[in-house]
Amino acid sequence: MPQTNTVEEIVSQPYKYGFITEIETEKIPKGLNEDVIRLISAKKNEPDFLLNFRLRAYEQWLKMKEPDWSGLTYSKVDYQDLVYYAAPKQDIKKKSLEEVDPKLLETFEKLGIPLSEQKRLSNVAVDAVFDSVSIATTYKEKLAKHGVIFCSISEAISEYPGLIEKYMGTVVPINDNFFAALNSAVFSDGSFVYIPKGVECPMELSSYFRINSGDTGQFERTLIIAEESSSVSYLEGCTAPMFDTNTLHAAVVELVALDNASIKYSTVQNWYAGNEEGVGGIYNFVTKRGECRGKKSKISWSQVETGSAITWKYPSCVLQGDNSIGEFYSIALTNNFQKADTGTKMIHIGKNTKSKIVSKGISAGQSKNSYRGLVSISPNAEGSRNYSQCDSMLIGDKASANTYPYIQSKQPQSNIEHEASTCRISEDQLFYLQSRGIDFEESVSMLISGFCSDVFNELPMEFASEADKLLALKLEGSVG
Amino acid sequence: MKSSTICQDWLDSLPTTEGCLKNEQSIGREFLLDQGMPSKKDEAWRLSNFNKLNSFLSLPPIIDNEDIKSQYKSIFPEKDVNRERIIINPKQNPNKNINLPNGIEKLNNKEIEENLGKIVKSTNIKNDISVCLNQASSSNLLALKVKSNFNQSLEIIIPSIEEKSISTRIFLLIEEGAKLDLLQIFLGNNNSAQNHLIEIKLESEVELTHGLISLGEEKESSSICTLAVEQSKNSTYSLHSIHHGWDYSRFEPRIIQSEGEASTIIKGLQVTKSKEQIATHSLIRFEGPNGKLDQLQKAVASEYSHCIFNGSIEVPQKAQKTEAAQLSRNLLLSKRARIDTKPELEIVADDVRCTHGATVSQLQDEELFYLLSRGIDNKHANSLLLKGYYDEVISHFPKSAGKWNFLEKLIQDIKK
Amino acid sequence: MISSTSDTILSIEDLHASVEEQEILHGVNLLVKEGEIHAIMGRNGSGKSTLSKVVAGHPSYKVLSGSIKFKGIDILELAPEERARIGIFLGFQYPVEIPGVSNLEFLRVATNSRRKELLKSELDTFEFEDLVKERLKIVEMNAAFLERSVNEGFSGGEKKRNEILQMALLEPVISILDETDSGLDIDALRIVASGINRLSRPNSATILITHYQRLLNEITPDFVHIMADGKIIKTGNKDLAIDLEKSGYDFIDKNNKGKEMAQ
Repeated sequence: MPQTNTVEEIVSQPYKYGFITEIETEKIPKGLNEDVIRLISAKKNEPDFLLNFRLRAYEQWLKMKEPDWSGLTYSKVDYQDLVYYAAPKQDIKKKSLEEVDPKLLETFEKLGIPLSEQKRLSNVAVDAVFDSVSIATTYKEKLAKHGVIFCSISEAISEYPGLIEKYMGTVVPINDNFFAALNSAVFSDGSFVYIPKGVECPMELSSYFRINSGDTGQFERTLIIAEESSSVSYLEGCTAPMFDTNTLHAAVVELVALDNASIKYSTVQNWYAGNEEGVGGIYNFVTKRGECRGKKSKISWSQVETGSAITWKYPSCVLQGDNSIGEFYSIALTNNFQKADTGTKMIHIGKNTKSKIVSKGISAGQSKNSYRGLVSISPNAEGSRNYSQCDSMLIGDKASANTYPYIQSKQPQSNIEHEASTCRISEDQLFYLQSRGIDFEESVSMLISGFCSDVFNELPMEFASEADKLLALKLEGSVG
Repeated sequence: MKSSTICQDWLDSLPTTEGCLKNEQSIGREFLLDQGMPSKKDEAWRLSNFNKLNSFLSLPPIIDNEDIKSQYKSIFPEKDVNRERIIINPKQNPNKNINLPNGIEKLNNKEIEENLGKIVKSTNIKNDISVCLNQASSSNLLALKVKSNFNQSLEIIIPSIEEKSISTRIFLLIEEGAKLDLLQIFLGNNNSAQNHLIEIKLESEVELTHGLISLGEEKESSSICTLAVEQSKNSTYSLHSIHHGWDYSRFEPRIIQSEGEASTIIKGLQVTKSKEQIATHSLIRFEGPNGKLDQLQKAVASEYSHCIFNGSIEVPQKAQKTEAAQLSRNLLLSKRARIDTKPELEIVADDVRCTHGATVSQLQDEELFYLLSRGIDNKHANSLLLKGYYDEVISHFPKSAGKWNFLEKLIQDIKK
Repeated sequence: MISSTSDTILSIEDLHASVEEQEILHGVNLLVKEGEIHAIMGRNGSGKSTLSKVVAGHPSYKVLSGSIKFKGIDILELAPEERARIGIFLGFQYPVEIPGVSNLEFLRVATNSRRKELLKSELDTFEFEDLVKERLKIVEMNAAFLERSVNEGFSGGEKKRNEILQMALLEPVISILDETDSGLDIDALRIVASGINRLSRPNSATILITHYQRLLNEITPDFVHIMADGKIIKTGNKDLAIDLEKSGYDFIDKNNKGKEMAQ
């Protein structure tokens, strides 16, 4: 197939976000020990309960082993060779954007996330995180009018310690896994969202994570709480400069949805993936989990994963409340030597809980793209349903696509259905489009986006174009 | 007792052999001594009931020509006229007193040396406990060659003995162009254990239909069976298996299409009741292009039982144009029962068609209601539906397999 | 309307082509001029569909020798999309289904790539919707088709109407319609045929590939060619199709044999 190469070229778009911002940074010395944790906590003026939270996590982490179960080999991380706190030098967090270092504003503008009043995305509030700290949150006042809290987690810790103490670590316990324990010990910043009872969040909320320092691990922590009958749509985006070393990113995201509440969490992940030989790139080892604690609550994850050298990520739903709903929509595109091991866990505990999984994996080059999932129905989850669909597309004969859907049922009055398929770009479909005058590149793009359309339809409108750029695809119905 | 001690005691109780399995024995024993028994941390054994596995090991092995009173049930259904039957009497070397039909010969020592263990080794399973258990405990080998001109049926019956553990090692070489209809019957006994390692090599153009009826006994019978099959070009291998009635059963069919270009059909059924745990761990690997696989695994779990299916399919780069379909269908009939199913697909070839699917559900209420509304009572309606469910697997067995009355057992034993 | 001074649109000379290493076309010659309607008839496997795929540039088909010229330009080196843009249109016998790709989007991108070639302005979403709604009338299609994925779940007749809709939007110079009539009921056949008739213009041409006479009752061809064994073995006017219908393909075989022997 002479055309395969060309298809590969199309999916190999150069990384556009690889620049480094020259800015004076305050870093603490490399290495991890109790003192470092106390130092991070002190820098943030944290209350005692949080310092204790960190120290307990650190104690657990020391006892844990780095996982090696997924068959992914990678050069091990030297945890003593990382910087656990790095922040652009500026006085304590600025009250207004005008005071933020223009270099930082420029950085985000270059990334397509303008923060200044005039250029902001309308109807999207943005929390911009640079290395370890949040530098700005837009539309805070407008949101506050509705009682919505959207701020950096550091700010939330000092302003709303009650909510933090009540919820942090309740969805992802500190000893959940190696990387979650590490995050709990050293997390630096991240976003916090609180939607009060009965409020439908008036705008999209979005966090944008930027790793700038090469030797800094990024450990952000996000917590979203949706009170009874509230709803919110949240999106995170991620980029990093190109370094030839591997940078560790180990985030924890916790979502809590109470009765009738709904949270939609979307990710467009475009961390630097390493070069064509597989050198450099981000290790993206994140723990994301949502609990549908209330009746009829709903948590929906959608993700477009195109970056990172290695991704381990399983955004999950614990469906506790009766009639609650969990959803997972995923597109993972890997190329060169990238490895993505992603999927979801749907844990059905409440009665009549429903879950839906749609996963689309596209692997090119010598990359490895795996779907790994668990659907578990516990004995009390009467009337529960799951439907899963996992499709893989292979481009070239050196890429691999693996599927490990794990199903466990202990409830006879429940139904689980799983379907999966593997394909490549069909020559007939390609010829059909070409024979209508559509050029080869665009035809391939159309076919890939067609393959992913079930998931694209789940992305918030505002970010469909972001995803479009990422996959270098022309999306149906997208703006422009 | 700790499982390591149990394993050690079991190894100590095993007789040693001077025969062709001598080398194999020491390999298996060394591995087990070194590695010990599996734990929850071994992905392939994670769901295994270790108490049951330990009681499997606690039964004493049978020793050649040992004078024991207990007998296996010697009443088997009458054999078909055109079906040759081999009964493996656990009490003696299967190579003695064995009548082989025309077209089937014993392998000579050279052939054994050339072939034995090769297939199982080529499956590349790490920490291959099931195989090591057999290697450590098997003293006798039944190694047969089915000649090219053979086109008949063969039946191999392996009964168990009460309070004893038996271990069989079988190697079948099926020569180019032969057609064989093989029916294997594993029968449990009260408080008995069986452990089999079967290797089958299909040369090119071979057609093998392999029926496997594995039926345990009410009281604590267990079985571990590894079946390693190598298929050469243009061969067809159809495996139809039923596992039922074992307190603990683990079946590991592993099929390697060594050059691709072959066809594999697998239809498996496992039905559990009371506290039984029955598992199938299958592996199918394509080592050349144009291979075909059609796999259907069905399971029914009732009462307190647990059915497990783990199905690996590997399609490496050299296996372009592979067409593989796997479907796992499960019925969960009780609140205390449990189903675990995990397909595993690993694909590194872009021009392939691979699909898999899994469902877990219950007997459909609408279907049941439809039957009831036609005046059929609940019991009959249920058994009709179950029969319908089993049919996809059972209909592929040769008719003569029906003599083993498993269908009635499969229906009677399962109460909704 | 045929005049000897008409310009040649398509000229095929001694075309040999193969698929999967097997030679299917053994020297096809065909000349199509402006305003002409040609019908190519022949049994299954005679090479009719192969000819259409080769003209459209399907990558699985290899041209071994001979030439295909479009308005005097050799097109053999052109990619399929380039051929489409200069005005070569293939109506597929079995239009492929493309799940997930919106029909409307597909039609718009295709139309714009042709318009670009014609140095016309590209149409935005709204302008295009106006155009497509007007063209839908030609094939009596419901606008709901536009919202669906390309050909996905379409019935046989709907697929063929979608093909004619594309023809109406792309306004090709030459349309090669491969068994557009197969699998159509009487009503659908009438709609498709009247669509083709309405779309034919004095400076364009049409090649109908068909098995049966019935489409030719609706669209009158200027030339009828009979293909067998990868060659055009007989050319005549519309009466040839009628003869063929009456006596079946056997009469061709006999004639052909006679001819071969004579040679």
